Amino acid sequence: MTDPRRPSGGRTAGSWEVVAVLLAVAIVVPLLVFLYDSESPTLFGFPFYYWFQFLMIPVVSALTYVAFRISAAATRRERREHQP
Amino acid sequence: MKNVDPVALTVFLVLFVLVTVLGFLAARWRKADSLDTLDEWGLGGRGFGTFVSWFLIGGDIYTAYTFIAVPATLYAGSVVGFFAVPYTIVLYPIIFIFLPRFWSVSHRHGYVTPADFVRGRFDSKPLALAVAVTGLLATMPYIALQLVGIQVVLEVMGIGASGSASWLAKDAPLLIAFAVLAAYTYASGLRAPALIAFVKDTLIYVVILVAVFYLPSRLGGWSHIFASAKDSFDGFNKQNAGAIAAGTVAGKGIIPPAAAHWAYASLALGSALALFMYPHSLTGVLASKNRSVIRRNASLLPAYSFLLGLLALLGFAAIAAGIHVTNAQESVPALFQKEFPAWFAGLAFAAIAIGALVPAAIMSIAAANLWTRNIYKAFINPQATPKQEATQSKLISLIVKFGALAFVLGLPTELAINFQLLGGVWILQTMPALVFALYTRWFHRWALLAGWAVGMVYGTATAYSVPAPGKPGSHFGGPLATVPFTDTKGYIALTAFVLNVIVAVVLTLVLRSLHVAEGVDETRPGDYHADAGDPGVEDVLEGEAGTAPSAR
Repeated sequence: MTDPRRPSGGRTAGSWEVVAVLLAVAIVVPLLVFLYDSESPTLFGFPFYYWFQFLMIPVVSALTYVAFRISAAATRRERREHQP
Repeated sequence: MKNVDPVALTVFLVLFVLVTVLGFLAARWRKADSLDTLDEWGLGGRGFGTFVSWFLIGGDIYTAYTFIAVPATLYAGSVVGFFAVPYTIVLYPIIFIFLPRFWSVSHRHGYVTPADFVRGRFDSKPLALAVAVTGLLATMPYIALQLVGIQVVLEVMGIGASGSASWLAKDAPLLIAFAVLAAYTYASGLRAPALIAFVKDTLIYVVILVAVFYLPSRLGGWSHIFASAKDSFDGFNKQNAGAIAAGTVAGKGIIPPAAAHWAYASLALGSALALFMYPHSLTGVLASKNRSVIRRNASLLPAYSFLLGLLALLGFAAIAAGIHVTNAQESVPALFQKEFPAWFAGLAFAAIAIGALVPAAIMSIAAANLWTRNIYKAFINPQATPKQEATQSKLISLIVKFGALAFVLGLPTELAINFQLLGGVWILQTMPALVFALYTRWFHRWALLAGWAVGMVYGTATAYSVPAPGKPGSHFGGPLATVPFTDTKGYIALTAFVLNVIVAVVLTLVLRSLHVAEGVDETRPGDYHADAGDPGVEDVLEGEAGTAPSAR
């Protein structure tokens, strides 16, 4: 799912796995329509169907941001190891 | 002909003149020695940071047409149209994965278009040509639709209305708007839409935020808005119960029935995969200055999705406000005209019209670059200098825009919409050659070409055979068709894509066992991770990113 790591990124492999899981959740959950195809419970007048999808926007954004931070840190580590 | 409101028109014109001035001034912004190369004219110097890129990419992918068409589908009772929201949610994790690799390899090798990469990776001019032509075919109707967006606004404002006596009075405003757009794109290149995007997005944010807080208070709150939409749809369904049961009329609702779940999800997924195959989306990405800009933006761009979702719901608000229009696309502009003071309506109309200019400019630049790099340079003048390339692109950007204009004025709007629908189906067929190739060289170039051809033919034929609801025998009735071997409806582009991949895999196995020559790959594994500051990555940077590779 994610960037295959640079040739010998052994120490950062775990980070990339976390990134892959975060992104997979972010991509799959909004596509599972059966999770949210109902009118109730409503929130501020919005049927569940609508507010759940709106809620997904910041949730996925946050997941992607965490993935960004982890990937940036992993990339920095890899680059340090390769360029003493 | 409707009366033109002088206040709304004045506000509209003032804003339009403002962006025109900005468009020409953009040539001096982040001033380069010369705009006579594609890196400068066509990619804005490849140096945009997170902030500028956010506006540029956002202005690029959330187009005026989206802002008109998405609420229109909800107004018309087709809740599947709300797929635009999950589409723009899953889009960002997807691009987070592959765009940084595309950025890196493109910067190492100076690629300007997606087809440049395909040629370098597979050493295949035919495959690169297929990708370039698909990009051109898919982009042209997209530009045309931006014009449709402007046309709708002008019509609601009462200028250029369809009731006018002469074609000149009818089309003159659109002609002027486009001539101005063409002139500053020619002069300033990608810098023009990048700068105008600030105005566009600020206007759109203000308009939408005011609308979503003000309108519900006038229309009895969101619960009342949803309730009136539901009542209206229920009434329609009762009246047409027989026809709906017979399948000649589509039922309406505010929640998709279980049978439409895959349609909804496949439209969202297929569109998200397709979006960054469009050359204009990639142009915005290649103009950013390093890999982190792309990944950081993947978590910041969803702010636009929120806006789009709220805007979509204005389709329901139009129902609650008692707007009755035969062309559903006019529902939201008509809503603004009815519920807001004239000056604010003028602001909203300007936001939509300027919202059309930004993507139209980027699309014409991307299309022009495709022509120059992958047809002109590849086949007509292989020795072209960078200056000749830039001249060629500038010229073609004019031709592309006037081609789109002729398309909209000369042919029925329906046709532009059909082609746009087909464009989405077509462009997704370039994904194996483009995205899979970022990870593996396993696929054979001829197998990819064959897969592309099969996907194109299947997708086109299937889309052609979809009748519009209630009009048996008509064509291009929608993006959904029954998935083969099932009775579920799904997005044609995604089905065609699966077929494409199957063909590519099978033929790769065959061609490899026959040892057919696979060409020389000019890229190396390290190219896909290169970042700003690394050797061989074009040195257009200064500051933190340029000083040390590990800085960011």
